[in-house]
Amino acid sequence: MRILLSLIIGLALGAGIGLYLGWVQFPVEYVDSPASALAQEYKDAYVVNVAAAYRDERDPNAAVERLRILGVPNVPVYVQEVTERFISTSRPIEEVRHLVALAEGLGRLTQIMEEYRPIEPTETAP
Amino acid sequence: MTSSLPPAPPPSLPEAPELPRRTRYRRPRRSISWIALFIGLLLGVGGGLYYAWEIAPVEETDTAPYQLRDEDKAQYVAAAMLRYKYDGDLDRAINTLVELNLGADPIQAVADMACNLARTDYIDSNAGLNGVLAMMNFYRLQGRSGCADQIIPAPAQDALVITLVAPTPTATLPPPPTKTPTPPSAFVVSPTPTILVVPTTPPQRDFVIASIRDFCDSEIEGVIEVFVQDFNGDGIPGQAVRVRWDDGSNIFYTGLKPERGPAYADFQMTPNRAYIIDMPGRANPPANPLVADTCFTEEGIESLRSYRVVFRPAN
Repeated sequence: MRILLSLIIGLALGAGIGLYLGWVQFPVEYVDSPASALAQEYKDAYVVNVAAAYRDERDPNAAVERLRILGVPNVPVYVQEVTERFISTSRPIEEVRHLVALAEGLGRLTQIMEEYRPIEPTETAP
Repeated sequence: MTSSLPPAPPPSLPEAPELPRRTRYRRPRRSISWIALFIGLLLGVGGGLYYAWEIAPVEETDTAPYQLRDEDKAQYVAAAMLRYKYDGDLDRAINTLVELNLGADPIQAVADMACNLARTDYIDSNAGLNGVLAMMNFYRLQGRSGCADQIIPAPAQDALVITLVAPTPTATLPPPPTKTPTPPSAFVVSPTPTILVVPTTPPQRDFVIASIRDFCDSEIEGVIEVFVQDFNGDGIPGQAVRVRWDDGSNIFYTGLKPERGPAYADFQMTPNRAYIIDMPGRANPPANPLVADTCFTEEGIESLRSYRVVFRPAN
């Protein structure tokens, strides 16, 4: 009886220590993660990069193809959400302009974005 | 007479009971078995770790780019390189690569990634092909190379081709009549104009702005005149020069106006707009932007300020 009681107490204490170590101190670190699991800040950075590329290429299909790895159900709606969040949180103006250009290219230009629409350069003779 | 003598002692003292010897078999029992507790602890820690790592691991919500699987990591890099191609911000591009923990030489790692992507059907789409080209553009500017260079033809801006078209054909008069009849002909056209294709490769050295001078001329209004020269002051044709303004940019090349020499290129500014000029990936921009503001010539004629910018090799 005494041994059984000690064993149970040891198990309970050990399980607590093991869970603390496994969840808090040394949690599982994933190394082959999909882009859909990226932290929000990195997802945002990726979307801005794709938007900047869009301003260079003017190819909305290419932008959608690149954003597909984020695993969002509706890419244009997602771009609109990110763009409006960037505007609401006063993120760098150049990044907002990239996003607004892409949102417009995907047909998701909203009223709040109008002010940030980039004026694309007209062809200037060198 | 009564006797007050104490009672006589008993014939012998009773023997004190002998205390049991303290042996390991006769120790008092503790309420806890330390051995069982230790075994329980070991089993508990093991079970707890197994549960926390295998059965119910922490939910993955804040993955960093370096944790991405290879194919997604490559696309993440491609997007960063596309942005670099657009804005030329080398610091940001390098920081992105650092976040990816690509090893000791992250730029060569980009070349290796481009190589791997170029071998797959990733480059079958425009999005993929442009991504790989952007990666190639980046690592080439940093002096690296990879197998993608052989798989994908060089992009136009990396191996600039200047096409020189020979003078256009002119009509020639019909020859005088000869004894030999010839088929009727109104005129004879000389053969197809010769097209000379001169491939040039941008030199790998870097440039600096040797001078910026503004001037006011009624015939040249708001123009940036650029000269890219070598160490000896001779013009270098085919050099990319970039101007950027608030929300746009333009790249143009030297040598496309042969009458002004191989070093020359120019750009027409919009009045009162500020421009930053540089050679993308080759020379840094000046500290102050160039503005086409109003000026007056020596004759008192109103015009727009123009600039003459000279780039020369850094060393």
